[in-house]
Amino acid sequence: MASVKLTNVKKIYDKNVVAVHDFNLEIHDKEFVVFVGPSGCGKSTTLRMIAGLEDISEGTVEIDGEVVNDLQPKDRGIAMVFQNYALYPHMTVYDNIAFSLRLQKMPEDVIYEKVTNAAEILGITEYLMRKPRALSGGQRQRVAIGRAMVRDSKVFLMDEPLSNLDAKLRNQMRSEIILLRQKLDTTFIYVTHDQTEAMTLADRIVIMKDGFIMQVGSPDEVFDMPDNLFVAEFIGAPKMNIIKTKLVCEGGKYYVTPFGAKIAVDGDKGKELANRKAPGGDILLGVRPEHIQLATAADHAIPCTLVVDEMMGSELHLHVDTEDGTRLIVRVPTLDLDKDQRKTLVAGAKLYITFEGKAMHLFNPETEKNLLT
Amino acid sequence: MSQKEVTSKRHMGLKAANRVSNTAIYILLTIISIVWLLPFVFILLQSFRCETDRGMVGYILPKVWGFDNYIKLWNSDFRRWYINTFIIALVSAVLVTVIQLCMSYTLSRFRFKMRGPLMRFMLILGMFPGMLTMIILYRVLADLGLTQANAVPGLILVGFASSGMGYYVSKGFFDTIPKSLDEAARVDGTTRLQVLYKIILPLAKPIVIYTILTAFMGPWGDYVFAKYVAFGTSAGYNVAVGMYSWLSNDQIGNWYTTFCAGGVVVAIPVTILFLCLQKYYVEGVTGGAVKG
Repeated sequence: MASVKLTNVKKIYDKNVVAVHDFNLEIHDKEFVVFVGPSGCGKSTTLRMIAGLEDISEGTVEIDGEVVNDLQPKDRGIAMVFQNYALYPHMTVYDNIAFSLRLQKMPEDVIYEKVTNAAEILGITEYLMRKPRALSGGQRQRVAIGRAMVRDSKVFLMDEPLSNLDAKLRNQMRSEIILLRQKLDTTFIYVTHDQTEAMTLADRIVIMKDGFIMQVGSPDEVFDMPDNLFVAEFIGAPKMNIIKTKLVCEGGKYYVTPFGAKIAVDGDKGKELANRKAPGGDILLGVRPEHIQLATAADHAIPCTLVVDEMMGSELHLHVDTEDGTRLIVRVPTLDLDKDQRKTLVAGAKLYITFEGKAMHLFNPETEKNLLT
Repeated sequence: MSQKEVTSKRHMGLKAANRVSNTAIYILLTIISIVWLLPFVFILLQSFRCETDRGMVGYILPKVWGFDNYIKLWNSDFRRWYINTFIIALVSAVLVTVIQLCMSYTLSRFRFKMRGPLMRFMLILGMFPGMLTMIILYRVLADLGLTQANAVPGLILVGFASSGMGYYVSKGFFDTIPKSLDEAARVDGTTRLQVLYKIILPLAKPIVIYTILTAFMGPWGDYVFAKYVAFGTSAGYNVAVGMYSWLSNDQIGNWYTTFCAGGVVVAIPVTILFLCLQKYYVEGVTGGAVKG
């Protein structure tokens, strides 16, 4: 159980390629932090620097108050689960899990107890005498987690542990990781490129891009109040619609004017704009697909044409083109549609859409920063 | 004829054709193996020939059988040569294997300055025939006092000195073992050396066996360097050089059958080694190529 503190951490490869810029983060004891971002954003590199598998070019990493920059991985009090499981192929599952304990010269009866205990929690007791190649992907990942569990480490590091599993198994393992976390009650640092994993698992999410931290916050914060356009588009699926439009202020009230419509920015966001006396002008307007509703022809409804309809089961994803050719995605719960309505939603259909002012996100088109953060 | 009969006849035709071609192939292979085995059988038979004429004869089956040649062999200088060869081959094999595997692991896993140029340099250097270095090597060994009667340590030195350059095959094999295994082991608490012998080597068993075998075989059958370094001193001969001296015009009449017996004795350890390790050897030669 420990906190992890990264101060001005940088990773510079040969030829001055900077993989991680000035990373500052304090991870609290027993916190579950997820690093998320597209590939090449430096999330795995950062994790590997914490693990001691990469040199730290600049800055310091502290675990439990101790600077660990120059410590070997084994001396840092960490356990790690790798994307490709990294099980030792020539050892049985039991030996794989017992490996680190034997290196610590623990008595065999203690090792036996720890291994069988971990195996029981993970439901792999019957496979203990098998070699990894005789296991399925999900079972292998459990063994990898078991191997990390028995080390009783201060910090649990996971590098895309679910990426090699199929979609169904991934969902199952995700909930198992949540249960595991409750049982282990230790500090977790988890790397993924999958925003769903990040949202469901994390206490705090660190969203990264090109080696920079774009935002750190709870799942609610990064979803409801993205700091910038990148975070807004990265979190949430399907991704947020971005519309070039103008912000106008009339009589102390703010409006946006997408596609000739005029929609009031109300709720807290409207008040905040008024408090800040925000100037009008060009903005980027972000609206999540689930916040757009189908409407009938009315003053503020936006006319558009349906291009693609994707049936997802519980919901329908409609890809529509507005009159000026902007492509938007609308997410409609299938329960909200009656049969006749559903039949009309085919490619080429003319629709009207609208959205509420409180669900809008406003970004500066130059800095791409949220106007309200 | 029904459709079923037609089909079954076609199937019979295919089977018959397969049988004919298989038979032809087996006959050919049998002939080739007989031709290939004949010299070995010949040597084996000659080694048991105990006639008064111990020179070359024009027939294969001995007229008088016995172990005289082996007894003569045991009482000759051969014992010394055999021990010499065994020491050279064994010590070289151990040193070459250790150096080569460490070198391969280093080049496969570590990234350091000049790694690329070093590998290219060794590749180019390896393209020159070893014989080119003979004169200067002799000079060096002579200055160190490692020639003639002291040829054994000299030949061991020659055997392992440049062994790191033979890293290609095992490095290729190590490259196919995921690096995350090393990393997992290091997180689990191993040192780099423990990673090598607890994780990598057990996984690379075929290549370790291959390295040991080739490292042993080189000095075991060496003739040119051994002859050069021992330079006419019987105490420094290995079996190849020693036994060849029996084939000179004035010796062959007396020593030919003993030479054959020596050939059989030389083949024994190598044959045993191969029989025990052949399963791994085949995997080792082909393993690195297809696993990547």
